[in-house]
Parts: sequence; C-alpha cells; structure tokens
Amino acid sequence: MFLINCPYCGERDQQEFKAGGEAHIERPKQPTELSDDEWAEYLFMRKNIKGVQFERWNHTHGCRKWFNMVRDTSNDEIKAIYKMGEKPPSQ
Amino acid sequence: MLNYNSVIKNEINHESVSIKEISPVIKINVRGKKREFLTNIGKNLNMILPTEANTSSTSDKLTAIWLSPDEWMIVSNELASKDNNKYDLYEVLFNSISKTNLGAVIDVTDQFVQLELRGKNVYEIFSAGSPFNFNEFKEKKGSTTQTVLNHVDVIIHNKDENIVNLFVRRSFAEHLYSWIEDNTSRL
Repeated sequence: MFLINCPYCGERDQQEFKAGGEAHIERPKQPTELSDDEWAEYLFMRKNIKGVQFERWNHTHGCRKWFNMVRDTSNDEIKAIYKMGEKPPSQ
Repeated sequence: MLNYNSVIKNEINHESVSIKEISPVIKINVRGKKREFLTNIGKNLNMILPTEANTSSTSDKLTAIWLSPDEWMIVSNELASKDNNKYDLYEVLFNSISKTNLGAVIDVTDQFVQLELRGKNVYEIFSAGSPFNFNEFKEKKGSTTQTVLNHVDVIIHNKDENIVNLFVRRSFAEHLYSWIEDNTSRL
C-alpha cells in the first residue's frame, strides 16, 4: 500500500489506481513494413526491470485520467509524476 | 429494466447518523474542454462550473460537482416531479452543447442513487471503508471527492457540517446501503 499523488485530484491511496504498463512506447510509423519479430518486440516485449521504471497509471476510481509515473520497482518509491504528453524528467 | 424502488429497506435513524434517499433528483453529467463549452454552460445554468479539483459550486437550484478536469455532475437541489422522466434542463443543455459538438451531456438521473447522510458520526462510517483522508474534506463546505467506499465507486459531496450527499451507482446501491447499515449498528 502506498499513496499516489494524482496530478489532477491530489494524494490518494494506491487502491484507487490501476497500473497501465510501461510508458513512452512509440507506435511504429509504418507498421506494415515491420517484420514479425519487430512487431512482436513493439507489441509484447516490456523491460520489467528491478529499479527505476517509467510507467503509465490510471486513476480508475477517481478522475479516470491517465498519467505517467517514475517508480522504483524495488521499493515502490515514486520519483516523479507527470501528465500525459509532458516530457519525462531526466534520469 | 432498472429497478427504481428505493434502496432503503430498513431506515437508519439514529441520533448520530440518519440516512435517507433523495429521489427523484435530476442529475446530468457534462463533459467538455473548450472555452465556449464553459461559457455556454455558465449562461444556461446561471452558474460557473468549478475548475478547482475536489470542489463544487452551488446556485439556488443547482449544484455542480467537479469530477475530473473536463467532467462535472450537475445535481438539482430540488426534487423533480415523480411522473415525469423528462427534464427541461437536460433538453436545453443537450441542444446547446451536444448538438453543437461543444461537449457531451448525459442524463444520469436514473443511474445514480443519492443518499443523504446526517449526523456527527457520518465520517466514522466513511473511514471504516474508504482509504480517502477526510480530515480536510469535512472542514470545507462544498468539497467533493470520487473515491471507493467498501470497494464501491462513490461520489461524496460535503453539503454542510455533518450533512453529506453520497452518490452511488444504482446496481451497487443496495449492497452499499446494507454495508452502511451493518456499520452503523456498530458505531
């Protein structure tokens, strides 16, 4: 259990949120030109590292807005939270 | 077919907490981002939508509750007529906003059940089933929050000191009410 500071609603409990996987994965500009391996890489392969990770989260039981979070997966420490479309803070 | 019967089977009427269902009350969900949307709503409702998070604004007839940066719920302060399920306010908003593509207007009158909780122990019930911190909420009249209560999504509006409006989706209302009932028995 930890608190997440929703950029719209303020500090709320983690149970109000849903994690939405890795952030900043760009959709290929020409999907038809990709090989199966490249497409699978884009579609399925995620870093899932132990350490600082960039993630998308959704405040499902609150404002229902998506936002980005930089979280240390080893101890759940939240390093930064920023809105969709904003530039990620430098590591 | 929706079940329009009252969700309250056994009335809670203690000294410390009393609960009643407020029905029928017009509830309209509005969504939009454009500047014209906000001015149009303002003109039609004769009130300004709150832009600050977790707040509400009230006029004589209506209350607008902030739900998200581009979403509000407009609730009537008065009861509607029982036999008529059509509302002028909805028609006016639908014609001036939905039809002109400024935003979306949805009638959620039958979707939400409004319960009014009164008494000094209201927040004791909430803290038993919600992770939300009500310390600042209860001090500030007009504050609102969307959170979970006993794992059910609710909208809570601080109407006045120890008077709280709770909006819950109709299909969850009976379950939530029996949880509240169980909880008040142990206060």
